[in-house]
Amino acid sequence: MTHFSTFGIDAALCRRVLSVALGRGADDADLYFEHSGSTSVALSDGKVNRASTHVDLGVGVRVVVGDQVGYAYTEELTEASMVEAARVAAEIAAGNKHVSPVALTERRLADRYHADIPWEGVDLETRVRLVRDWEQRAFARDSRIIRVETSLGDSFRHVLVVRPDGRMVYDYQPMTRGWVVCTGKDGDKRESSSANLAQRAGLEFYDEARVSRMCHKAVDDTLLLFEAAPAPSGEMTVVLGAGSSGILLHEAIGHGLEADFNRKGISIFADRVGQRIAPKGVTVVDDGTIPNARGTINNDDEGNEAQRTVLVEDGILRGFLHDEISARHYGVSPTGSGRRESFRHVVLPRMRSTYMESGTHSPEEIIGSVSRGIYCADFANGQVQIGAGDFAFYVRRGYLIEDGKLTRPIKDVNLIGNGPDVLATIEMVGNDLKIDEGGWTCGKDGQSVPVSQGMPTVKVSKLSVGGASA
Amino acid sequence: MSDLLDLAQQTMERARRLGANEATVSVSRSSELSLVRRAGKIEQATKATSRSLSVSLLVDDRFSTHSSSDLRPDALEAFLVRAIGATRVLEPEPERRQPDVALCGRGVSEAELDAVDASFPSLTVEDRRAASEALEAAVDALPERKQVLSATIYVGDSSDSGVRVMSNGFFGERSGTGFGAGVEMTLEEPGGRRPEATAWYSAMHRADLPGPEVLAAEAWKKAAERLGSKAIASGKYPMLLQNQVAGRILGVLGGPLSGSELHQQRSFLAGRVGTAIANSALTLRDVPNLRRGLGSRPWDGDGLVAREMSVIEAGVLRNYYINTYYGRKLGVPATTGGRSNWVVTPGTRTPAEILADVPSCIVVTGFLGGNSNGLTGDFSFGIQGLLVERGEVVAHLSEMNVSGNIEQVLGRMVEPASDVWTWSSTRSPSLFFDSMQFSGS
Repeated sequence: MTHFSTFGIDAALCRRVLSVALGRGADDADLYFEHSGSTSVALSDGKVNRASTHVDLGVGVRVVVGDQVGYAYTEELTEASMVEAARVAAEIAAGNKHVSPVALTERRLADRYHADIPWEGVDLETRVRLVRDWEQRAFARDSRIIRVETSLGDSFRHVLVVRPDGRMVYDYQPMTRGWVVCTGKDGDKRESSSANLAQRAGLEFYDEARVSRMCHKAVDDTLLLFEAAPAPSGEMTVVLGAGSSGILLHEAIGHGLEADFNRKGISIFADRVGQRIAPKGVTVVDDGTIPNARGTINNDDEGNEAQRTVLVEDGILRGFLHDEISARHYGVSPTGSGRRESFRHVVLPRMRSTYMESGTHSPEEIIGSVSRGIYCADFANGQVQIGAGDFAFYVRRGYLIEDGKLTRPIKDVNLIGNGPDVLATIEMVGNDLKIDEGGWTCGKDGQSVPVSQGMPTVKVSKLSVGGASA
Repeated sequence: MSDLLDLAQQTMERARRLGANEATVSVSRSSELSLVRRAGKIEQATKATSRSLSVSLLVDDRFSTHSSSDLRPDALEAFLVRAIGATRVLEPEPERRQPDVALCGRGVSEAELDAVDASFPSLTVEDRRAASEALEAAVDALPERKQVLSATIYVGDSSDSGVRVMSNGFFGERSGTGFGAGVEMTLEEPGGRRPEATAWYSAMHRADLPGPEVLAAEAWKKAAERLGSKAIASGKYPMLLQNQVAGRILGVLGGPLSGSELHQQRSFLAGRVGTAIANSALTLRDVPNLRRGLGSRPWDGDGLVAREMSVIEAGVLRNYYINTYYGRKLGVPATTGGRSNWVVTPGTRTPAEILADVPSCIVVTGFLGGNSNGLTGDFSFGIQGLLVERGEVVAHLSEMNVSGNIEQVLGRMVEPASDVWTWSSTRSPSLFFDSMQFSGS
């Protein structure tokens, strides 16, 4: 079966458009067809009072000459519009030649995110019942909860990548995210916290165990904040809890290993492949193949199969995340990391699910080894400077560690460090790798893509903690 | 423009026929062109024209919003049928009804906004290519060029026009152009660090962008200020917050000022109108009718007439951002749902004049990560900057955080400088705080 019907196109039309794209002497080109839809429902003030839907349809035409890219897109899938986009994209090239792309063969790669109950077949009443149920669970958990907001978003994306070498790769990408936000009141103190779940999955994702975990976390984290003291300030030992601490890897090393930055020589890691950048026992992976993970892709947005890419192996930097342009530059195979936000965007090397492999220490042993420091449990956002290597991430919730024990909760503190320095000072790696089940989104050059991250419990000897207490 | 209006009106008629009691339809068209240049050639050229349609519906007092780029007539009809069906299963909320049409309209004329650069249609691809070449030539002409590891040049522009039709009778048309130019520069220092910085300008008129030499010199200055940077001891220091990045600290107020956060009891500013939340040196206005302002607009998200609004006057909180819906929920008059241009009243002295008097001061030139808590006003941000002693730069700073409570911190904002930054919707001068908590080594 072909997926041309999704877009109202056919093989001959694609070949004609590709001929125009290649017609000025380009090395390569691709067509990226996308049809996506999303739905969300939201509850606040005790009412399921808001719904929204979004539909997007279009094609992006990319023309590649060496490391130069011409790009154009159109939302009208008529031959005239597509040919015009191809002509505009081809302006990057400066020659004139006749090209006939070979016959197209459709391929579908792995199926890593099967949706048992696809969202397209789920009626809105079912979504309404879900967000209502989450609200009631949150209120039932503790009487100090005074406000609850819940929302459910789901989307699907049909993608067809067509290449002049005859490759034609189709993918169907489902996604869903549930969200619970609680506000609590204790005396005259108020606090708010949230929890969310995200996966490439259908309705079946919201099983009893997950839903109760999400709702309880939103409430329990809110209540914990009533106990929280201001975070300390200055350089200290930091223990990163298993799961969402993967944000440290994402910022401290992940972006710096995206090969476009290295091709331009502007990453601090540019000349370090083959060198030791972390102690033995530290293995960092960017993986597009974890079943149903938010960051998983069957194929990337250039039609290459996603893979599990080892970035750091036992402390040695092994390689970068490549799209086709950077792979050609380095003379290596692409790693299936070429991603784009939508048909309106060019391909860039991007992360998928980034995590550190488990080590040998138990979490208790790691915490027990710290006389004074902080333990980070929950994160909001992070940022990095690729060249200087400085990165930061924001801790919503954590604990002080005093004499080997978690003591007072702390909240709202930014941590800052330098990627290579911090990697070199990883002292202990736990045996409890956890891929976070929350919905992370990575931004780069104005493009957002869904990602996942994971981490075992890890001890870093020195990070700068931006607390308010001196 | 007339085709956009036709599409909007047809969509409105269809939505009403299919059962919507109220509807707002917005249709827009935009075109964009961007060039990225590096090492003597165009590395990326993007060009596109795009259309989109969005509809908000009220069906038996049930509210929903929808958007689509698939504007084929059959697809649009099916889209509206699904949208209205979906709305019916929600719970009613009469507070979502549109405002009285008497409150809607244009608060400033197109001519006064001056948002369209008339030269836009005649700009050729060659013009843009020439602009990117000129910018690269200016970088290459820098005396310090040999120390630059990589310089990436950005040149881009866009044009957009849109119509908005509301079932209460309001309709309006608007259009604008935008131009941007930037240089991202990476340097190298012993030890492998490659400090980077970007000089970036945006404006509605091409002539408002500075010349290539200004951009190149600024990119160099910013990148050079990050060479050899390090953390210094934690402690309290006076802070001069540079005009370009002042929005990051002021932005902590954004959530807590909003009707949604007030209504959800998640704002530390609840009940504070008429009281001091900042030093009397701080005056902040929301000015939607600023000529060529990047945040200017003739009406707001509800179609309400755009009017200037005092947010903080000599330190005293004057108004929240409350749209029609939250106004009804909170039982107060709506102001406007979202910010336009934030204009901070400048002082009389330049940053250099202020710094000359201060024995030791941290000049914050950039932020890295960080966030804030709207319930408490607490924030914590990573910073880059300079340690300045009586006007002399004595160290370049990185790997440090600044933190505090926004109300206490704004209380320490004792003097705005005179140097308003106009290439942003936050038009602020540099701001001087007499004491801030920094954490470093």
